[in-house]
Amino acid sequence: MNIFPALIKREFLDGQNGYLRVPVILAALSIFLVIVSTIGFGATIEFDGVFDDHEIQNLGQALDEAAASRRGETELPAAVTLSYWVMGGISWVALPFVVFFTLLSALYEERRDRSILFWKSMPVDDWQEVLVKFATPVFLAPVIFLAIAIASQLIVALFLSIVVLFQGGPVLELWPLASMIGTWFYFATLYLTMTLWVLPVLAWVLFVSAYASRLPIMWALMPPAIIAAVEGILFETTTFLRWIGIQLGGWQVYAYDSIHADIDGPADFLALIFGGLQGVALSYSLGSIQFWVGLVIAAAFLYGSIELRKRAS
Amino acid sequence: MTETVIEARGLSKSYGDFHALRPSTFSVPLGRILGVIGANGAGKTTMLNAVLGLSSFEGELSVMGCDPSTERGKLMQDVCFIADVATLPKWMKVGEVLDYVEGVHPRFDRAKAMEFLNRTNVPLDRKVRALSKGMTVQLHLAVVMSIDAKLLVLDEPTLGLDIIFRKQFYAALLEEYFDENRTVIVTTHQVEEIEHILSDVMFIKDGEIVLEAEMDALTQQFIEVMVTPGMEEEAQKLGPISKGVTFGKTTCIYKNIDREKLAELGETRRLGLADIFVATMTGEG
Repeated sequence: MNIFPALIKREFLDGQNGYLRVPVILAALSIFLVIVSTIGFGATIEFDGVFDDHEIQNLGQALDEAAASRRGETELPAAVTLSYWVMGGISWVALPFVVFFTLLSALYEERRDRSILFWKSMPVDDWQEVLVKFATPVFLAPVIFLAIAIASQLIVALFLSIVVLFQGGPVLELWPLASMIGTWFYFATLYLTMTLWVLPVLAWVLFVSAYASRLPIMWALMPPAIIAAVEGILFETTTFLRWIGIQLGGWQVYAYDSIHADIDGPADFLALIFGGLQGVALSYSLGSIQFWVGLVIAAAFLYGSIELRKRAS
Repeated sequence: MTETVIEARGLSKSYGDFHALRPSTFSVPLGRILGVIGANGAGKTTMLNAVLGLSSFEGELSVMGCDPSTERGKLMQDVCFIADVATLPKWMKVGEVLDYVEGVHPRFDRAKAMEFLNRTNVPLDRKVRALSKGMTVQLHLAVVMSIDAKLLVLDEPTLGLDIIFRKQFYAALLEEYFDENRTVIVTTHQVEEIEHILSDVMFIKDGEIVLEAEMDALTQQFIEVMVTPGMEEEAQKLGPISKGVTFGKTTCIYKNIDREKLAELGETRRLGLADIFVATMTGEG
């Protein structure tokens, strides 16, 4: 019997405010803002430097001009794709908070409200519970957020298409599908790499939720703060904080060291963010000792969480 | 040969110097309804938690052939329990609870659970949080009674429920759930309500099993005598385990004394389980 679908469904139901309501509300808000600003500001979006000085009445004309311009063929799809990310990607702001607080309560709330005794009366092993409680926010939540981001990008594109259709502009220019789909995949892989780096920190948060008898947020934040303070006072160094900083995203500074960015327009920018970076990021990570050490630490915290849950009742 | 459900040898649990359960050896066969009776803090829940794989223990313990401390997940395919507090997740809807159990438990019969629930007023689309205490228990009981388990452990299952529901529940447990292929372990304070369904009892006092017996044999062992005035001295000679005064007459409780002999002293009657429990705990029995 495969019990994982039922476990994941339960996690999703438990956390559906964070997994679904928050990103949908944020996406709806950003779509609403796009619609209001498009209608409110006379449907004009400016593409700096893409086209020469002309009097542009509306979005349709702007698109026409851009498409006909010297670099329009390469720059316009990239510009459109990027602007969709800006217009339909605001939900991502909430993701780190959703992941953090979901993990922090994952193994804490069930002990607080005693429902752990019900979960433990079911034929589900503690390792299965802990794994699902870790993987759902860390790996499933981003997939849901990405799906919502994609949906909102498509809604924005649809809305702008209708506007441009009425203005008599080139509607097809608003659908650079190859470039859009490409960014979705690139984003997913880059995000996965970043998640793997953050894994030890996330596993620590889950471990705290399995350990803390109260105030898990204090337990999550205080020990790292104390370690950093003690290190600072005794050795006058910041190795520990630097390590955390690198895991949380600082690694990218080193990973992209070799890239000499020469950004000239949206196409270069897009190619760099979604095309070049993720490959570099992945190969840098696989070759980094700190990356692998981080994964081992994450595994140790997960093991600790499982052992703590076995003893909890 | 009767299959054994629980086999414990020297089972114990200590927290530092405090012995929650002193080394105990016992076995529970299949097809029994065992009442575990003891005061609060006597060690009932400690013992049951060890059996259910909810806490660590010292000594040897085998439940359905599994070691509960390492094989809880597997064990729970054959074992079901309701702990002594409301444990259903409050954020879930009733229907979602059923979905979940159906998704993880291979021996759960949803149709059966619905049959039980249809007899109650529990609404399927309501969250557990919004159910009354009685409804929450009814839901939990409907879930466990629809699981085809070999061992069902109920720790104060009807706490906080009204008398009508308690009666109905024990009747359903006996008629619709229990059979020779299952064992049920019940702890409760309302001893009178369960004594007619029990086949075995176990008394626990201060972390120690002080009595383990079959109900039939037990109720024959204990006899109360309302001593005829003038016979007090003879009554005392037979060594009562406890003495009291009712309506101005001396009453004595005896253990393992021939009933005919006792009848000479005065009016005899069998003791209820609650009285036996009190006599055992307070007397020398």
